[in-house]
Amino acid sequence: MKRRAVNLALALLLPALLLALWQSQALKGGAHAYAFAPLGQIADSFATMIADGRLLLHALASLQRALTALLIGGTLGLIAGCTIGLWRPLEAGVTPVINALRQVPVLGWLPLIALWFGNGDGAKLILVSLATFYPMALNAQQGMHAVDRKLAEVGRLYGFSRWQALRLIGWPSALPLILTGVSQALAFAWIATIGVELLFSASAGLGTEMMAAQVAARTDVVIVCILCVALMGFALNQLFGLVRRRALRWQASR
Amino acid sequence: MSDLSFTVDRGAAAGDRPHSGAVRIANLSKRFSLSGKTFTALDNINLDIRPGEFVSIVGPSGCGKSTLLRLITGLDTDYDGDIRLDERRVAGTGLERGLVFQDHRLFPWMTVAKNVEIALLNQNLPKERRDRLIRSHLELVGLIGFEDAYPHQLSGGMAQRAAIARALVNEPKVLALDEPLGALDALTRVKVQAELQRIWMEAGTTMIMVTHDVDEALFLGDRVVVMSPRPGRIARIVDVDLPHPRDRASSVLHRLKDEILAELTAEPADADDRLVPFPRKPRA
Repeated sequence: MKRRAVNLALALLLPALLLALWQSQALKGGAHAYAFAPLGQIADSFATMIADGRLLLHALASLQRALTALLIGGTLGLIAGCTIGLWRPLEAGVTPVINALRQVPVLGWLPLIALWFGNGDGAKLILVSLATFYPMALNAQQGMHAVDRKLAEVGRLYGFSRWQALRLIGWPSALPLILTGVSQALAFAWIATIGVELLFSASAGLGTEMMAAQVAARTDVVIVCILCVALMGFALNQLFGLVRRRALRWQASR
Repeated sequence: MSDLSFTVDRGAAAGDRPHSGAVRIANLSKRFSLSGKTFTALDNINLDIRPGEFVSIVGPSGCGKSTLLRLITGLDTDYDGDIRLDERRVAGTGLERGLVFQDHRLFPWMTVAKNVEIALLNQNLPKERRDRLIRSHLELVGLIGFEDAYPHQLSGGMAQRAAIARALVNEPKVLALDEPLGALDALTRVKVQAELQRIWMEAGTTMIMVTHDVDEALFLGDRVVVMSPRPGRIARIVDVDLPHPRDRASSVLHRLKDEILAELTAEPADADDRLVPFPRKPRA
């Protein structure tokens, strides 16, 4: 209990120092006050944005975008990764292509996607889905190789069919890597969502709001959005960590 | 866990001696091909195992004893000669032949009960009967109360007993055991040996156990097959003419142990051929 309190205090130390530094810059006045909005002003904007529902609207729009893309890209990545991992000739054929394509950052596709699909919600969803596809596909592919031959022999001993072996031995063996894929895809989805919203500034979203605030010279609003992005990303990560631990509770040391 | 003091009369078990579970191995040879060279793992093995018998197999590493079990259970299928269970030739794995490995090989993502249940997957039993079988076999190995534990939560001895329950739940005619207690510490090992003896006496299954431990082989086996390596052959078959359950202190067991150890540590007859002169020098 005491140890946890100490850890919490340590975790809060750095943010507190940063805030103090920030505030000291803001209080210098002039250009500094513009670049570093005073903490009081940020708090005021935060309260206002909560009160008029703006923050919630944008946060939910971003969250929905990220999770929808995760569902689409993650599912496709899972299917692709499993198929590639299970079928050797396909694996040999497409792995180099995938490895080359994934070197292109998601935003590198932006000009093409914009050309083909415009800059609406559909284009954003495609880009974010693409960001989730790779980590999911690569981890699922590795996962398909994670089967312990010794356990596979147990399946043979009890006359498992191919499908039974896949469901009862292959899938659980792959699950730790697949969940690693999901957690990476989740992080990429959130980052990519904010990224595309910054660049395709149409419809709601934290990134869009941030861009608008910058144009309107509202550093305080930008800061509120950044904090919101950071906290939500952190919360998503922690939440999925719980799901993962629950799903893998059979593992020896976690 | 029961200790050494259980008293099941082997005579009573012998009365309803099982009529199936006879293993007949005739002229069995197994050759492996390794980087272009073939070598003989098993050479002309002949062994008749009676229904309900406990046969121990001892021998140094490389004598093919594990290979023999893999052939009997059908995990390896390619061999010369004949392996028959109740007159039917063995081809591939089958639920009438079980195997316990040295490592328990429980599925880590399944609870103990689920691990045992999975062995019944293709048996098509009504749920009620299935549950009864699982429960009675967990009872047999003393794991009642641990149904919902995951393998990593069990001790080595408990995990191995769970593996034995899984292997027995199908009520196989033959159970092969490949150094089943090899990974256990000495004390646990002695306890599980007694457990295994009790389980064997209750289940009436034919058991074939490979082990490194001559004491263990003699304590459990009706017969002890002594094998010699390169190529794997049966050097000798020792009858252990003592009723079960046995007393470890028996003078008969001690005498037989000395004989078997002498056999295992004897110089091969053609020792000169096997010695490689070092350093290699051309003969003068």
